[in-house]
Amino acid sequence: MTDLAPDQTATQTAAGIELIPFGQVDPLAVSVVAANLQALLGLNTRVQAARPNPEYAYIPTRQQFDAIKIIKQLSHETREVYFQLGVTNLDICTPILTFVFGESQLGGNTALVSLNRLQGNGTDLAYERVAKISVHEVGHILGLEHCWEVRCLMHFSRDVAQLDSLPISFCETCQYETSRRLGQL
Amino acid sequence: MMQSMRILVVDDEEPIRESLSAWLQKDGYQVNMADSGQAALGSIGDCFFDLYLVDIKMPGMDGLELLGRIKEIQADANIIMITAHGSIQTAVEAMKRGACDYICKPFDPDELSLMTERVSANQALKDENIALREQLMEHHEISFEGLVVESQALRDIFTSLKDVAPTPAPVLITGETGVGKEMVARAIHMQSEQAYGPFVAINCGAQTETLLQSELFGHERGAFTGAVKARRGRLEMANNGTLFLDEVGEISGKMQVSLLRVLEEKQFQRIGGNQNVETDFRLICATHRDLSELIKADQFREDFYYRINVISIHIPPLRERLADVPVLADHFLERYVQETGKQVAGWTQRSIGMLMSYHWPGNVRELRNVVERAVVLARGRMIGATELSFLQPEVEECHFGTMTLKEMEISHITAALESTDGNISQAARQLGIDRGTLARKMKRYQLNLK
Repeated sequence: MTDLAPDQTATQTAAGIELIPFGQVDPLAVSVVAANLQALLGLNTRVQAARPNPEYAYIPTRQQFDAIKIIKQLSHETREVYFQLGVTNLDICTPILTFVFGESQLGGNTALVSLNRLQGNGTDLAYERVAKISVHEVGHILGLEHCWEVRCLMHFSRDVAQLDSLPISFCETCQYETSRRLGQL
Repeated sequence: MMQSMRILVVDDEEPIRESLSAWLQKDGYQVNMADSGQAALGSIGDCFFDLYLVDIKMPGMDGLELLGRIKEIQADANIIMITAHGSIQTAVEAMKRGACDYICKPFDPDELSLMTERVSANQALKDENIALREQLMEHHEISFEGLVVESQALRDIFTSLKDVAPTPAPVLITGETGVGKEMVARAIHMQSEQAYGPFVAINCGAQTETLLQSELFGHERGAFTGAVKARRGRLEMANNGTLFLDEVGEISGKMQVSLLRVLEEKQFQRIGGNQNVETDFRLICATHRDLSELIKADQFREDFYYRINVISIHIPPLRERLADVPVLADHFLERYVQETGKQVAGWTQRSIGMLMSYHWPGNVRELRNVVERAVVLARGRMIGATELSFLQPEVEECHFGTMTLKEMEISHITAALESTDGNISQAARQLGIDRGTLARKMKRYQLNLK
């Protein structure tokens, strides 16, 4: 499952993140994501009731959902917490990319992750993958860019094999930046 | 974090433009957007970019036309064309016209990252190539092992260099013209953490202030009359490497302020530009002048002096370390024998004596030239006094040979003028006479300055 690295200390912050499931999503996957965000980033988490599929973002020619449209819609909603993370099982993409595991606003407040292409539905490995993607995207929300360090969760993963090779922890620099930015909230 | 390359995304469709920009920003790139070819050209008016991502199909000026216009402004621009599956033929045409690649939208997430990384690596290679070419042209040794020393004075210096080189601290090298300051700077660079980056040298004394400013900072297109194309400056080219400012004592006060700001903020703006360019380099400066005297005379800023003089190295003139003369002479002899293919094995005892008794006003550079000339003139296996006869006027033991008083005076005045690069006031001081007297003697003996 998603073990916390021994040297990884969660930042204590009052900041919170709301998890919003879209469509039919494995509730255990959402719980795993919430637990990891709480443990790694010290974020208070709250899971909303599942919402229907976001049909407004459906692209018939690609038979996929536009992640950016969903994020834009979510970010306009009134929130009681700092951040929002959509979790879905739908196949998501952006106008320029054939697919994405997750999408987020760099330095913004909203992100979206999908289990659709993470493979291994319902297995520990799939849960670990969605947890990694979620923490990575929340890292972008905090303003972190992709990292050169191959043993850092902010390193860009081209596929699930590369995602699997990443630890569920940040490199020293990204860890420092994460703590610093969370401390500013 | 990833390297900060500046990218301009040109696409008339907002969702494409925004999603592409957002993606690139997460990869650490600085991204600007333009919604048309015309707007793109307007952006290039402000600054120029390391990479252009241009949509082929746009209303008004299309991608192909924009490609041509960008190439007119920035000949070495990296341009990637964005195309739909149906217009690959046009993309191929764009590549014939100078685009470096094309990508079909929508693309896989890794395609774009790989492409931008490739462009970034190519750009770094281009910059490094320019710097390496300059290094090769100089024919200088580039490691401590390559430096030839025998005297204790230089041995001590090179021992300390081994400790100094790996640190990022700025170094100030002082010494007379020709002692090998740039060679020492290159040796420090090659032993430093920036060794795999470029070594970018510039002689600050050899150009006007305006030209020096343009050389250092680069400029945008149209920044001044004649700036028909944007150009990178040495500060930018030295990123992740070493910047060597030779004859730093000749820099104007205004330029010192500008450079001080770059050293402190690690960023600057090209002339005529309004965007910050980040740069990080190790600074090595050199001068033959006494900077503390220049500070007293209000010709050099104290704050700039302390910024560049964290570690100071003084290279003594060759006449104060004559022990180096034979080993340097052998070193240059070997080099020129290889270059010319002549069968010369070494020096006669008398010729070495002549080299040792010469006062070397031009230091190591002069010795190198003397050896080159001697090798060219050599007729036997050993270089003798005959091949060094051109050194006779300066060799002390020959001064009082069969020369008349007039010949001796002419010879002595000529030597003084040569050693001061033709500066009459300095030569007069060296000769112990006043400037007017020297000028009269030069006129009488018809000693015209070259």
